[in-house]
Amino acid sequence: MLQEESDLSLIIAQIVQKLKGSNLYAQLERQAWGSWEKRILKSLNSMCTELSIPLARKRPVGEQKELLNKWNEMGTDEPDLSLFRPVYAPKDFLEVLINLRNPNYENGDSLSFRTHLGLIQVPLKVKDIPELKELFVELGLTTGQLGIDDSTQVPPELFENEHVRIGQKVLTEQDSAAAQQYIRQGSPTALRAELWALILNISSHPEDILYYEQLKTNVIQHDLLVDSLIYKDVKLTASNDDYYFVFEDYLYQVLLCFSRDTSVLSHFAYNSASPPKSYIRGKLGLEEYAVFYPPNGVIPFHGFSMYVAPLCFLYHEPSKLYQIFREMYVRFFFRLHSISSHPSGIVSLCLLFETLLQTYLPQLFYHLREIGAQPLRISFKWMVRAFSGYLATDQLLLLWDRILGYNSLEILAVLAAAVFAFRAVNLMEVTSLAAAEAVLADLSTLKVMPLLQIFLFATVT
Amino acid sequence: MAGKVKWVTDMEKSVLINNFEKRGWVQVTENEDWNFYWMSVQTIRNVFSVETGYRLSDDQIVNHFPNHYELTRKDLMVKNIKRYRKELEKEGSPLAEKDESGKYLYLDFVPITYMLPADYNLFVEEFRKSPSSTWIMKPCGKAQGKGIFLINKLSQIKKWSRDSKTSSFVTQSTKEAYVISLYINNPLLIGGRKFDLRLYVLVSTYRPLRCYMYKLGFCRFCTVKYTPSTSELDNMFVHLTNVAIQKHGEDYNHIHGGKWTVSNLRLYLESTRGKEVTSRLFDEIHWIIVQSLKAVAVNASPSLTSSTANDRILKYNLINDTLNIAVPNGEIPDCKWNKSPPKEVLGNYEILYDEELAQGDGADRELRSRSGQSLGPKASRLRDAGRTVLTTWK
Repeated sequence: MLQEESDLSLIIAQIVQKLKGSNLYAQLERQAWGSWEKRILKSLNSMCTELSIPLARKRPVGEQKELLNKWNEMGTDEPDLSLFRPVYAPKDFLEVLINLRNPNYENGDSLSFRTHLGLIQVPLKVKDIPELKELFVELGLTTGQLGIDDSTQVPPELFENEHVRIGQKVLTEQDSAAAQQYIRQGSPTALRAELWALILNISSHPEDILYYEQLKTNVIQHDLLVDSLIYKDVKLTASNDDYYFVFEDYLYQVLLCFSRDTSVLSHFAYNSASPPKSYIRGKLGLEEYAVFYPPNGVIPFHGFSMYVAPLCFLYHEPSKLYQIFREMYVRFFFRLHSISSHPSGIVSLCLLFETLLQTYLPQLFYHLREIGAQPLRISFKWMVRAFSGYLATDQLLLLWDRILGYNSLEILAVLAAAVFAFRAVNLMEVTSLAAAEAVLADLSTLKVMPLLQIFLFATVT
Repeated sequence: MAGKVKWVTDMEKSVLINNFEKRGWVQVTENEDWNFYWMSVQTIRNVFSVETGYRLSDDQIVNHFPNHYELTRKDLMVKNIKRYRKELEKEGSPLAEKDESGKYLYLDFVPITYMLPADYNLFVEEFRKSPSSTWIMKPCGKAQGKGIFLINKLSQIKKWSRDSKTSSFVTQSTKEAYVISLYINNPLLIGGRKFDLRLYVLVSTYRPLRCYMYKLGFCRFCTVKYTPSTSELDNMFVHLTNVAIQKHGEDYNHIHGGKWTVSNLRLYLESTRGKEVTSRLFDEIHWIIVQSLKAVAVNASPSLTSSTANDRILKYNLINDTLNIAVPNGEIPDCKWNKSPPKEVLGNYEILYDEELAQGDGADRELRSRSGQSLGPKASRLRDAGRTVLTTWK
């Protein structure tokens, strides 16, 4: 009897704690996101006022025709974008995250958090290496991997051929769950496009193509201020990239439609953020006149187009490319620029990264901190972009295979830590933030799977 | 100075000079005793010309073969390929096999081409068979896209006609020689743009043929979207991929210069079209290169000017690997060298074709090892899936 009672009270205590915790986090999230959202909107509105451009306007018929003709080569357009600036850049967002505080700190979830010396000051629960090894068990040393066991020195009979055969079988049977399990070991290049579509449950039915065409019509008929921001972002980032410059025109076709897609709003149901609202002119504050702006509720920031760019290596049919990107966004990418306590949210990823470094590479961590080069200041931009534009495309696709396979973004934090571990020797010798940045400036030669494997499975813990 | 290679060059290119210096080679002038001379095209001509030329001694190497201009001029290249094909046919070689419509099965890699003004009438006959076709005119002796233009009407090339009115005022020899080829107006496009391939091939010996392909070739993209529309035939930014041309386009971007590595291309093609098709494509590219070399057709002077920082690094490494193969171990050259270099020195080159290895097992091996690499699973794949496999060959 006594045992039951104490069990019961333990359970109750846990439930209470959980409820308390969730309330706490919800509060935290709403407050933090609320003030960040206000800032972004303010920035957008002031740009609007300064440039005397409306947030949205209907295009005159002549302009509509012109745009329709140019639909496949919007990259050749040279609008004057000099007065536009990105609404925010990743480093602005980092500052917000750094200033997040847990109001109930004393009830803190882990004692060890008091000794956390990184930039993130929110005590979220993150995994340690033993737990990561359990999660990423298929990346272990004894399991075959694409990205390691398909290199030219390894005879294909040992792993690659069989792996390809299994992949083809999974596709024939259209088994989405099996595909997700399979892809943890990486996808063969020829099967990747189909596998991702299978895992994301994307199939191109006529209604999907029609939906995309409707969005396109929307773009033709209305001009949005965010369009200029999208143009600017593409011109600044993807157009200058060695791999993605070729796909510039596809990026406009996807992103302009994306910003008008109200179905994206539904992801806010599980995103603790809320879509930014604007009001019809003259009706400020009146809820009946509130609209979401942009229509999909997502304000692009500097580098946003890089979420789409790698996908162009896989899909060249615009409506398919669009669907895949949209699904990747509402499943994964949105977590990289909204504030939440989710384990795949950017806050958790930052904390995971810092904790891994501090726990397993303490000397390096302290050294960098000493010289004013907090590691997160360097790795943040990699994680926000899911490494797009930093890794070679084939490596990036192998990494994103695992994001899909494990349905988690935690691998981004692990890779970031693994990169630091890899370059530790050089980093120990630098004496400034700029020098540390220089050591980590070029990731284009890195092979991600060996790095991850060594960090997780071959480091003494 | 025992043992140090003595080098000369008449080209002030850092990618060359840095490579020579890092090997500790000694710079000399062309009047002194030299072992290695990296010559510009003009100098090569002089060295090998009948009047002003001289014989190289046994310890001297230069960077071009004497017959290189046979290979650079487009008209000579076309002549060589046509002649090569006829020779093989005469020998009864299986390589020269044709299909029912008279097309070569394995050697059909040059579009219909004529020399102008010499073949003008033949060309007109062909043109009239499909009057809506587009043809590309290329000056025989120029490079870097200079002087190229497209035509779709006979009137556009009137002055090459043998009996044109102008010829009575102008002698034949001052009419510049051109080749005219059927224009391939449905090229593979990426991102809607046309691109070409810049591949580096090193030929270390001709007899036996030993050649290497640099793994790090690249693709050059047009800045403008491709359109076969006849209204854009004059727009060279749509049709010609040469950097020298594209560099002057408004959209030319100096950070990446409109280039992809060949491995990017491979990744893209495998991802979007599948592995088999892509492997076959690359096999066929290698095949064309080897056959062209055999017919003696190579461009003499790749640009050593670097357009971007990445480009400079690429060319430095390219020259480095080239020198490691051509002058192994930094030893003084000896014309009696005949061994294949060991695998370790290849760097980023891979063996494209080694005639000695290939001849070991007879000519049928040559057909089966079309890719020029050592036999492996790829070698057994033949061109058209529909054709019967060559096991039926006698």
